[in-house]
This record gives sequence, structure tokens and C-alpha cells, in this order.
Amino acid sequence: MPRITFGEWVNTGVEWLRAHLAWLFDFFKTVFAGAYDGLDAVLQAPEPLLLIGILSVVAWRLRGLSAGVLSFLGFVFVDALGLWSDSMSTLALLLVATVIALAVGVPVGIWAARSDRVSAAVRPVLDFMQTLPAMVYLIPAIIFFGTGAPAGIVATLIFAVAPAVRMTELGIRQVDPELVEAAEAFGTTRRNTLLRVQLPLALPTVMAGVNQVIMLGLSMAAIAGMVGTGGLGGAVNEAIGQLDVGLGAEAGLSIVILAVYLDRMTNALGRELSPLGRRAAAAVRTTGLARVLSYRPRPVVAGVGVIALALTAGLLGAVGGAGNAPATAVGDAADVGKGKKVTIGYVAWEEAVASTYVWKNVLEQRGFDVEVQQYDVAPLYTALAGGDIDFQTDAWLPTTSGPFLKKHGGKVENLGAWYGPTSLELAVPAYMDGIDSMEDLKGRADEFGGKITGIEPSAGEMDLLKNKVLGAYGLEDEYEVVDSSTPAMLAELKRAYAAEEPIVTTLWSPHWAYNDFELKKLKDPKDAWGAGDKIHTLARDGYSEENPVVAGWLRDFTMTEKQLTGLEADINAAGKGNQDKAVKAWLKKHPGLVDEWAPLPEGAKGTEGGEETARPLEVAWFPWEEDIAVTHLWKHVLEDRGYTMNLKQMDVGPVYTGLASGDVDLNFDAWLPHAQSNFWEKTKDDLVDLGSWYEPTSLEIAVPSYVKGIDSMEDLKGRADEFDGRIIGIEPGTGEMNLLKKDVLPAYGLQDEYEVVDGSTPAMLAELKRAYAEKKPVAVTLWSPHWSYDQYELTKLADPKKAWGEGNRIHTIASEDFPEQYPTLAGWIKGFRMSEEELASLEAEIVRRGQGKESEAVEAWLKEHPDVPGRMTPDA
Amino acid sequence: MSSRLQAEKVYKVFGGRPEQTVERLRKGADREELRADGVTAAVIDASFTVEPGEIFVVMGLSGSGKSTLLRMLNGLLEPTAGTVSFDGQDLASLTAAELRTLRSRRISMVFQHFALFPHRTVLQNAAYGLEVQGVPRAEREERAAEALALCGLEGWEKSWPDELSGGMRQRVGLARALATDADLLLMDESFSALDPLIRREMQDQLLELQKTLHKTIVFITHDLNEAMRLGDRIAVMRDGEIVQIGTAEDILVRPSDEYVASFTRDVDRSKVLTAAAVMDRSTGGGEAGCDCPTATPDMPFDELCALCARTPHAVEVVDAEGARVGTVSQERLVAVIGDVDADDAVADTDAVADTDAVADTDAVADTDAADGAAKAPAACERHTTGPEGVAA
Repeated sequence: MPRITFGEWVNTGVEWLRAHLAWLFDFFKTVFAGAYDGLDAVLQAPEPLLLIGILSVVAWRLRGLSAGVLSFLGFVFVDALGLWSDSMSTLALLLVATVIALAVGVPVGIWAARSDRVSAAVRPVLDFMQTLPAMVYLIPAIIFFGTGAPAGIVATLIFAVAPAVRMTELGIRQVDPELVEAAEAFGTTRRNTLLRVQLPLALPTVMAGVNQVIMLGLSMAAIAGMVGTGGLGGAVNEAIGQLDVGLGAEAGLSIVILAVYLDRMTNALGRELSPLGRRAAAAVRTTGLARVLSYRPRPVVAGVGVIALALTAGLLGAVGGAGNAPATAVGDAADVGKGKKVTIGYVAWEEAVASTYVWKNVLEQRGFDVEVQQYDVAPLYTALAGGDIDFQTDAWLPTTSGPFLKKHGGKVENLGAWYGPTSLELAVPAYMDGIDSMEDLKGRADEFGGKITGIEPSAGEMDLLKNKVLGAYGLEDEYEVVDSSTPAMLAELKRAYAAEEPIVTTLWSPHWAYNDFELKKLKDPKDAWGAGDKIHTLARDGYSEENPVVAGWLRDFTMTEKQLTGLEADINAAGKGNQDKAVKAWLKKHPGLVDEWAPLPEGAKGTEGGEETARPLEVAWFPWEEDIAVTHLWKHVLEDRGYTMNLKQMDVGPVYTGLASGDVDLNFDAWLPHAQSNFWEKTKDDLVDLGSWYEPTSLEIAVPSYVKGIDSMEDLKGRADEFDGRIIGIEPGTGEMNLLKKDVLPAYGLQDEYEVVDGSTPAMLAELKRAYAEKKPVAVTLWSPHWSYDQYELTKLADPKKAWGEGNRIHTIASEDFPEQYPTLAGWIKGFRMSEEELASLEAEIVRRGQGKESEAVEAWLKEHPDVPGRMTPDA
Repeated sequence: MSSRLQAEKVYKVFGGRPEQTVERLRKGADREELRADGVTAAVIDASFTVEPGEIFVVMGLSGSGKSTLLRMLNGLLEPTAGTVSFDGQDLASLTAAELRTLRSRRISMVFQHFALFPHRTVLQNAAYGLEVQGVPRAEREERAAEALALCGLEGWEKSWPDELSGGMRQRVGLARALATDADLLLMDESFSALDPLIRREMQDQLLELQKTLHKTIVFITHDLNEAMRLGDRIAVMRDGEIVQIGTAEDILVRPSDEYVASFTRDVDRSKVLTAAAVMDRSTGGGEAGCDCPTATPDMPFDELCALCARTPHAVEVVDAEGARVGTVSQERLVAVIGDVDADDAVADTDAVADTDAVADTDAVADTDAADGAAKAPAACERHTTGPEGVAA
């Protein structure tokens, strides 16, 4: 069977449309956006309670007293959930989409009712529109309409227009043909036949269609949150992304309340509009209490009520608008940052959230103005490479994030690893006796129902699992890897764990699940998963030069697994939106960490000494790739310089104890200030930090290079018009977005000028693609490294105020006496840096050659990097 | 002040190639063989003239093409061939707008299932035609109210159609048609959906209204009794063709063919025929010859029988002024009854051949009474004691 390249045709078609009909799409976009903005402004303007009052009076008028009271209670509930503003955004979107759907659907329905041929042509189109999965056209919608409300309106429209057409056609076709003939027999024109006979009689059916349009639109509006429409859809989207059942329930319930209200109101409106409906309603008039409950004010009374409330709303809005000046925080004694802006980007992975918020808190305590922004993986790197963020703490290197660095190696600074090694693995609950290794899974598929609970099918880990790991252990026929999502996998794990059912899940370390549940990581004797990544901090290009202090802190930053998983578990328990609180509480429980991770500057000193080589160095190392690499590198280089090194593999705790007691001289892999902080904390008085050798990554706002004169965040000021006042964001609630909204924009005084459009990473990238192709100005929330920087000519906006914040790193720590004993070496080590590419390639070389051949590997690697030894030991 | 409606060699064909089909029909093609080709010949070669003020009934079974014919009269359907002209104007020559104006002002229609607009009140329904004409609201409501009053619906103006009984609804339909002051009323099986009693009441009302309004009315029905009761003239349709046009008496007494005859067989002649229909007009002129009771021209047939039985000679039929317009002998009565019982009697009736004289009410010619003479007393007796028995 030949492969039909339908997808390519569609791509070509979309490209062509975008290239040739851009003006048309822009027109629609403007219309949709204008309508939405206007309506949203109107709905957002009044005090919630007043608008609730107005809506309730409308319900009272249309359906009676009990409906009015219930509406009031329902909406007050929504308001109490803090979702009122979101609800009104959704309502505005929905109303715009509904009006357009009707404006399109009713005429088409009329046309279809009058012509069988049109009807036959329209029907399959409607089927197509209704059944094509929304995801399939949501993202292309962005290419045409950009992110935000217009794309959401279009997606909603596509889904919801069908019932408008169908019900109109049905309604008109249902009209007794004799009545139509009667109208004709009295000389009625076709137009008047439609207006005076067919439409009035079809009205109840058409109104049922309107009702359907609204209901379908509402269900779609939730999905449209993915393209940055915000509102309840955005809240749902956010909740799903974070497996936040609570928020999901709140947003979902709000949608239901809105839906029920709109459903009942459109039903009632259908009755009010049609004389037949009015009479039917009049026929069921009741008595007694029921009569009181269904009492409806006369239209005049209801109108007066609505107007009175609206006027009050208007007055309050005018008066209340003035009184909300934001209060600014003040610095403190340890004010290193002096309010400097730092933006930290992160992916909604637990360790990234934990480390990011740790740094947010640490830096805030040091007087920095920190914003955290959540991204998807790819956008995070783009943001970093583009300079939109200052650093990010969650680069899994060399493997997982390696490709990004390959592309953007020059554009980011690697501030070193702060945690590692990470690992990918399958995990089973501890109660699964006899399963400790991948090999043990063989023949026990029945217990697990033949299923391995997977995560997102697009994740690299899934790919590895399906294509390599299962095959290595001969499990591919026995087990099926169930594609799912991380939240779903965790939910499934939680469920199975509670029920003590067998389950095998795709997991990775570090992960809070190991803290919350008793899980066994399945051993991988065949090394099918490959060497584990370490978690690095990456900073945007030039960050360490601009921010030597923060960069230094980040380089020194490490966290232990215990610290990390403990913190993750705390954050997870605190729930969404409380990350910051959880981290603060956690830092309180672990005093001293802040000082360890962000030491206040002190005079660094070291005396030049001659006899350093005389005594063998005792170097402790962890069995982690980057440590193996860096330790052997130093060993190789130093031995060339006449030093002697005794390497000892040790666990983290003993290393610190050993260093403190002076039994050990050096360790190159101190993940500070986070991962190993508890060890550091206990022993820091007896240790010396020789600085970090690895650099962070960055978050940033990026603009295409053809947008001239904008190179820095400061340049955005006053040019909002060019960008429609919009900065295309990614998933709302992500660290980068929060950082951008809360810290970066205010730092540059842009918060009133620019609106950050919530959306998703794919949506942002689609928008970027669209704008780039049309050479239009666009500002996107990006991070480095990101492939976008490779694909497009983009400018990472410099962040002179450091509003995006800074990253983390790997430190070299030594015994207290070390600097005195080895002043030269201490100097070398302090000046030591490794780039991401260097470390990655070295690690890869070591892994490739296998255990026991590290020296060979280092030698081979040095042949390709001849400048490194000289750089490491500048004066030798 | 009514207008003349004329149909000339009108054909209506549904389906492919209508012109060719008409040609085939003109050459005598059979309706059935056309149907095999997927073509329906609904109306074939229909010609007639409706005189001003006349009630012209088109009668036929369902599928005979009568409704199609009616819809060509106001241009709702366009004839495939032939012309329909109203007041000398060919409908086919009118533009769509002119045709609509014609329909809104001069021709109105009453439907089988009333076709009242359920979203309008009785008054709004009655005013519909005027609304289409663009008559101002106050005036049209006044005129609509008048039309409703005329139809006996005073006080029901604010009601809704679904609150009325069938008969009342059709009165609204009738009022709607009358309110526009149209000259021509097209009534499509208008009373068929009503109960027999109501139907009769409506027929009476229509006849009553016609006495004062003198509309030109084309009335479609499948009910021969209704046709006889209402129609000044009746056109009988069969399979798309008009097989006979004539007065009720013509249809009854001188059916043009077997089909019409069989159609009329079940009709209660004693209720339809009048003295004027059966009398011998050749003996008219002068005054009554003796003191014997005389008959009036509209005396029903059954009363005439009774009178005839009591009178030793032919009963004289005398009009309102006392002038003798004809006589009815017992032999003559028997001959008419004989048509019911003996089909060949039709052939023996001279006048039957004389079908050209469609509008001619005095077409009853001499009859050879000999064949039926023996039956006369018995028939007269039967009619005297139980006139309904004949219809059984």
C-alpha cells in the first residue's frame, strides 16, 4: 500500500492559506478579538455581586422566583470559588461564538431547508466539523488566528455551528407545507413567507438549536483553554496539567452552573419569543406556593431592576476603579539583589518546581525580585536561549535535554548540575515481592494485566521504554505500555497503591512518588535505560557575567535526593498554587540552607604554594556521571601536572563527613546550594566551597530579529502597539508565566502596557510561526535552549534588571584546610568551568567506553578538547 | 362583480420531459404507460369556463388531478401546456410579482386542513391576506372582523386557532379568504375534513353567503353529494381528464360514460333531483289547467313522487308567478328512477347524447316511458313510504 502523504498536503494547504489569505484571517481575528474584548470588558466591569443580581433578575423574569434565587446562589458560589472573572471571560467567549454561530448557522440552515441539494452538501460538512477531534484543528487555528480568544472562538464555532444549521433546517422543514402554500396562495413573497410563517413556526426548534449551540460551545470553551482563551477553560486546562483535582472540580462545577443557567435561560427565551410558547407557558400557570415561586415580574419591573443594578454597577466601577494601587515589597538587610529582577523558568515537573521555588525563595531572601514561569520542555529551552528567562534548574543532561544544548550550546551557560544522577526506570510498589529488576518482570505479565502504565506517548522515556528497554529484556510481547499522561499515571499509581494491587509504572528519579509511596525502582542490569541524566542549571547566555553573584550561587547549588523528594512531597501535599508557601515552610524546617546556597559575599583568599604535589589528594566521588567525568578529568589533568590523586567512591553523607574531618580533600560534585544542603548544613563550618563549574539556563521574552530596536526588555517599553499589547505566553500557572507576570513585566514597568496571553506551548509556537512567516512583530515567552532559536532568527531580550532570576550549579567542595594546603589548585578549581557540551560529550565518551576505562575515555576526549587542560590549570 | 375564469386545453405533467409527454398525451398515450416511464400526467387536456358568480365544482377521486388543476388556477402551479386565463389575462404572461398581487387581491383560497397560522390569533389569521396587501393595521383588523362576523365568528377574534373546533377553524379559513374581497375563491376540499353535520352546516353557510356575495367559486370535492348540493355546474375528473361537465342533473341523469354513471349510482337522487330537473318543458306555457295540486320547480324528487301518485294526470310544475313551466308525468318519473335500476335506460334516453348542452338546465328530453311504465306504481309507492330505500 503506497503511503498517501495526506498530512503533507494539509501542511502545504495550510501554508498556502496562511500565505495568501492572511488578510482574511486577520480580519476575522480582529473582528473576533474586538467582539470578545468588548463583551469581556462589559462583563468584567461591574462588581460580581451586581452582575449576579442582574443575571438573577433576568432569570426571575424569564423563569420565575425560584429560578432567580437559584441563579443568585449558583453565581455567588462561583464567585466564592474565586472563579467569577474566569466565568465571565468564558461567558464572553461563548456569547461571541454563539452569536457568530447563529449568524452563520441560521442562514445556512434556511438555505438548506429550501434546497435539497444544499442540504445534501451541507450535511457531511457538519458531520466533519462535529466529529473532527478538536485538538486537530485547535493548533492550526492558532496559525491562522493567533492565540487567545479568536482561536478559541473559531474552535468553539466550528464545533457549535452544526446544531444551529441542523435545527434551523429541521425547524423550517417541519413547518406544515399547507401553511407555506397558504402563505403563497395569499401572494406572500418568499422572503415574507420565511419571516412571517416559516421562521416564527420554526422558532421553538431554532431556539432548541441555540440552546445546543450554547451547550456545545461551553463544552468546547473548556477545551479551548488550551489555546489561551483563559477563563474557566484555562482553569480546567491548568488543573488537568497539574492533576489538581480540587481546582478541576471547582472550574468544572462553575462551568456546570454557567451551563445550567444558560440552558434554562435560552429555553425560557425560546418560549418568550414564540407566541405558541408564551401560550403554552400561560396554560400551566399554577397556584399557591408554587405560584409565588414561579412569580415573574412584569417586563417593565424586571427591566427597571436590571437597569438599576447596571447603573449601580457602573457607578461603583467608576468609583472603585481608582483605589487599587499595588504595594511594593521592601528589601532587607541581606539585600544583595536590590530588587533586581530574576526570572526562573521551569517545567511542571516536580523537581523543577521544587528547585525553582527554592531559588525563588532563596533569591527573594537575598533581595531579588523573582518571577517564576512555567513552560513546556521545549519552550523552556527556547526561552532560555532567547534570554527570556535567566535560568532554569531542570536541564536533564546529557541525554534528555542534550539535543537542545547541541542546538543552542553557545547561547546558554551551563551552571552545572545540582542533582544526579537522575534515572529513568520502571517502578513497582514495595509490596510486589520478588520483583526487583527488569528481568523479574518476565513471565509475570498476568499479575499486571500485561500492562505497564506509561506517561505521555511523546515523552522520550516512553520511546526508550517501548523501543529499547522492553526489547532488551524480552518483554515486548508480554507487556503493553499504556500511553497516558503523567497525572493519569500518578493517579493510577495512587489508586493501585491504595488497593495494594500490582502495578508497574514508568517513573523517574527524583520523583516525589518515591517519598509518598513505598516503591521499588526496578534494576536495569543490562543498562537498557542508558546512563542517567543529571539535573543541571542552565542560564541564559552571558548571565554569569552580568550576575556573578547569583551565577556563583547557582554553580554551587546542590540538593540531595532526600531533600529534593521531601520537598517535592511537601509541595505536592500543599497543592497547586501553594508551591511558594510549601517551599517557604520547607526552608524554615531546614534552616541554614539559604545561607549555604546563597552565601553572602566574603573575601575569597588563597595563597600561592609550591609543594602542593607532594601529598596525594584524597578525592571522593559519587557514582554519578558528571562526577565520574569531572573527577577523572581532573585526575588526568592534575596527574600531568605532577599531582597524585586517590579516588574514593563514597556516598554523599560520608563525603561531607570525610571532608569535614579532613580525611578527604576534594569533591567535585557538590550539588549546592540545594540538593546536598542538609549535609552541607551540618558540616559547612568545616568545609570550603571552591565555587561551581557548571552554568544555568535561561527564561526570556524573545522577538524575531526583524523586529528592530528591541534587544532588551527595556526596549519593549512604549512599543506595545507594535505587539498589539500582547506577549504570547504558554501554559498559565507555569513558573515562567508567573515570573513574567509578577516580576519581569513590573520590573520593566510593562505590566500595564502588555497583556500576557495564557495559552500553551504548542499554541505559543504556532503563534510564533504564524507571526514569523508574516514578518509581524511578536513577543513570545521562550527559554533557552530551544529549537526555535535554531529555526528562526530570534532575539532573546536582555534582562538588565535580572528580573527573570538566576540558576543553579555544581560546586567543588574541599576540606577546610584545602585552600591553604593547595592554594594553586584551589585557584584553578575556582576558575574551572565546563560547558554543557563539554560535559555531555565527556560523559558520553565515558559511558561509551564502559566502566574501568574512564582514563582512556578522558584521554580520548581531551584529544578533541585540547584547550581544556590549559584552561583548567592556567598558570601551570 | 365577479370575474370569469377560463382554462383551455390545460396539461400538467410531473417528471422528466414535460413537453414531449404532452405531445404523447395529445396523440392518445395512456396515463399508465407514462407512469411506467416515471412521468405523472396529473391533468390532461382540461378545458372549462367558470362564469362570474358561479359555483363550479370539480369532483373526482383522490389522484384524479383535481387539486393540481386548482393550483394552476391561481398560478401556484404552472400548466405544462395550455392556458389559464382570469379576466381574459393569461396567468402565464404575468410576472411573479404580478401573479402574487393577483393572488393577494383577486384570488383567495380555502384549504382542506384549514391551514391557519397557529402563531396568529383568529383575527390575525383572518387579516393575513390584507396584511400581505399592505393594508394598514386598523383597517385590516376592521375588515377581518367583518369577515369573521360574516362567517359567524363574532367574539372569537382574540382566540387562537387551536382553541377552535374544526368547523370554526374552517370558518376562519373562509373569513380569511373573504376578507381580501377577492373575486375568485378557490376551495380545496374545504369541507372534507369536517364531520358530516358540520360539513352540511358549512355548505349551507357557503350557499347563504354566495346569495349575497356572488363570488366566483371553484370548489374541489370528492363527495358527489356535496358537489350536487353546491355546484351550479360540476366537472367530473378521472385520471387527470375531465370526463363530464354539467349540472347536477346532467351528471346524474345523463352521465357521459360508465365511470360517471357508476360514480353517481350511490347518490340519493330523490334528494338531489328537483321537479325542474325531471319535468317536460315542452308542455310549459300557460297557467295551471286544473285545481289539482301543482309542484314548484325546486320541489324535491321524493315529494314530487308523492304528489304524482295522488294526481290522476301529469303534475303541473308552476313557478312563483303561477306560470306553468312544465309537467311531470308518472312515466317520466319512472324513467328517471329507471336510470338507477337499469343501466340500458341511459342509452334509451335521447337527451343523454346531447352532452354539449352542459349549461343547459332544460336538457331533459322526451323519454320513452314504455319500458318503465310497469314499475311506476311500485317505484312511486317505494318513494312514498321510504325514499331512502332507493339509495340502498
